[in-house]
Order: sequence, then C-alpha cells, then structure tokens
Amino acid sequence: MKSLITTASERKRPFFPQIALVWRIIFGTLFVITLLLGGFTTLKPVVVLPRITLAPGFNLVDQTGAQISNEQVRGGIALYNFTYSGCIDDCPQTTPLMAEVQARVAQLETGGIPVKLVTISIDPEHDTVEQLAAYADAHNADPDIWRFATGSPMQIKSVIGGGFSTYYTEKEGKIKFDPAFMLVDGNGILRAEYRTAVPDTAIILRDINLLVEEAHNSTGPQKLAYEAAHLFLCYPD
Amino acid sequence: MTTISEQPEVQQKKRPFRTILFILVGLAVGLALGWLLLTWLMPPSYHGQVINAQTPVTNFTLTGSGGEPVDLIDFRGKVVLLYYGYTFCPDVCPATMVELRTAVQELGSKAKDVQVLMISLDPERDTPEVLEKYVTHFDPSFIGLTGIEEEIIAASAPLGIFYEREKGSAASGYLINHTATVMALDKRGQLRLLYPFGTTGEDIAADLRHLIRE
Repeated sequence: MKSLITTASERKRPFFPQIALVWRIIFGTLFVITLLLGGFTTLKPVVVLPRITLAPGFNLVDQTGAQISNEQVRGGIALYNFTYSGCIDDCPQTTPLMAEVQARVAQLETGGIPVKLVTISIDPEHDTVEQLAAYADAHNADPDIWRFATGSPMQIKSVIGGGFSTYYTEKEGKIKFDPAFMLVDGNGILRAEYRTAVPDTAIILRDINLLVEEAHNSTGPQKLAYEAAHLFLCYPD
Repeated sequence: MTTISEQPEVQQKKRPFRTILFILVGLAVGLALGWLLLTWLMPPSYHGQVINAQTPVTNFTLTGSGGEPVDLIDFRGKVVLLYYGYTFCPDVCPATMVELRTAVQELGSKAKDVQVLMISLDPERDTPEVLEKYVTHFDPSFIGLTGIEEEIIAASAPLGIFYEREKGSAASGYLINHTATVMALDKRGQLRLLYPFGTTGEDIAADLRHLIRE
C-alpha cells in the first residue's frame, strides 16, 4: 500500500516543475532580449547622428557667379556656416574654422562621398559676387570644396532664418548674428548643429565620418541595426 | 506487487519526452512574447526616408481654392502629404499625383485621416481656380494651395524645396525645375517621412497606415 501511495504522488508531482520550467524559459527569453536591448543602447555598436529635420532648399549664386542650390549639394555631406565678409573685429569669427575643416576634409577617406563646405552671406546687400570672390581668396578657399553663396535678402532670410533657424539682424548698420555651423547629409537632412563660434574641429570631423560610415553601411541587413541605433538614440557622447 | 513497483520506472522513462515538449513549448511562448515585445518597441519598417523631427513644421499661410487663407496648422489631427509642383508640369507632377491618388485609395475608409496638399511653385499661372481643377481631377479630397512669391518661398524653402524657372518650348511656355519629393507630416504636424520621386502609392499607403494609427 505504501508503494501505491508513493506512485500516485509521483504521477502528479512532475507537472509543477514542468510548468515552472515553462515560466523560467519565458522569463529567461525576455531577460535575454532585455539584456540585448540594454547592451545595444549602452555599448552602442552602431553610433548615428540624429535626423533633426530637412535642411532648407535654396537657389543662390556663388563666388564665381555660378548657381548654387541645395540640389547641387545633395548626394554629398555639406557643412554650412553663416557670416559676412565685413565681419572683422567685434564679430564672431567662424570662417577660420571652415578653413581648418577644408584642410582636414581634403585628407579624409570618404569612399567617393563628396564633402562640401558652404558659407552663406548674411549681408547680401554688400556681399556681391566680387566681394565674396575676394573673401574666398583671402581664406584660400578651394572652389571644388568650399563655396560662398549670396542672393536676395529675402532668399537669405528664408534659408538661414527660416530653414536653419539661425538668428541674425541688422541694427544701425551693424550686423549681429548667432554663430552656427550645420552639418547636412546626402539626403538633405540636417544631422548636427554646432551653435558656437568655435566648435571642436575634431567633433565636426568625427560627425562627418559617422555620416560617411552610415552612407556606406546602412544598406541591406545592416539597415536594421542603423534604424535600431536611431530608435535607441545611439548618439555620440 | 511486481507490477506496481515497476510503474515509477515507466514514469521515469516518459519524463524526458515530456520535458523536451515543455522546453519546446516554453521556448515557443518565450520567443513569441519576445517577438511581440520587439515589434512593440521597434518602429515600423517604413518605405520612406525617416526623419525624427522633434518639433512641428513651422506654420505657413497660403491661399485655398476659394481665395481664402489656409494655414498648415488647419490640418493638425490629420496625416498630411505635402507635394510641391505646378499644373503646367509635363511629367513629374502628374506622375506623382497619380501615386498619391493610389495611396489615398489604398487606405479606403482610413483616407479621411489623410490630407494631400499640393503647393504650387508657379503662382503666376496657377490661380486658385486652375489649381483646384487640377488637383480635384486626381482626387476630390486633394487641396491645392497657392500664394504670392514670398509666401511660396516661406512655405517651401524651410522644407528643402528648390525651384527655378527654366525656358520651355513655345507650346509649354516656361518650365519650373523643382525638388520632387513628397513629405509626410504626422497628426502633430511633425515631419516624419520623405519620399523621392518614383515611390509607389502602395508603399506610401503602407507607411500612412502606421502614421494614422499613432
């Protein structure tokens, strides 16, 4: 009789450990997924720059008198800044940094992706094509990399003020502006803003490299990893 | 007695199969839950270029078909498809408008949550009446907006739209070269997706379903 009772209890017992096993596996799987997601967001195997918004459209003229538009720049990475040729003394100096980036960009391995610099004048009434040509020469601008743009005051306002949300104004003949640099990717999407007169050139170059890597790698199966990086805000520190 | 004492051994032999079965069921349920968690966390796979704008597109005011002022913010609560073109456009614009019609038709009853706006880049020739006739030819729900040059620039430049006038033939008059992308704004007015020329209406509709559900 004793053995009979034992056998009956053994028949029932296995059921509970098995159910517990199911739960262990469920929680184990969820734990592993959480761990993977946590690891992805912490370790950041893929780092991206945020897709902030669309960069503005424009149709201006450059220092050679040729047309320069956002559609011409599309397909390559572009760094923009906004200043004017008369910005000399009491004025945020952003052009020297563009000159430095120009020198460094020439040494970058981009795998065929063009990197361009565009300086848009915030004083179009004085910055004529000739004036910009002289200004470009003074800063050793290579016209294949670095172009200077001007246009009508309304066009300029819509691009810099409306599109790049950068403030500038003229009061009593004196121009005041918020110094800013904007990095735009090949799809015409604004990817980084540097709202200071002297951002770190190394950071700008790091960001250009991130865009180059993304352009080369974010196709096919790797696209999912890049989308996940955007979702989990895997931005550079 | 012999039979009774052998029963536990039989039970022991059966256990491995049951254990394997439970492990498989557990794995299946675990993976299904994991998959659900991932699909809940992961964004939908959009056909358009994703943009993570954190603020709504700056409002602009243009002129509607009856000459009345129309603001972009009038369409908050709807998913908005923005397209910039002109009625004399010989090829790209009508082809895009056909795809937008397909997208809206694909949505069926959900189409009421979507508004297609075509903004003219040729205000000189595209009067409100001309524009209305053009857009409603594709779909009665489509709205055409025009305005003076300054208003058009204010509505287009911040959204990456380039356009310029180009000499055409004697029959067509001047032409306008322009950026031919379509933009999708969500119900909060934030720019979410960008479609290059040639994106099919079916692909756009698939993305719109996600935006409508938000």
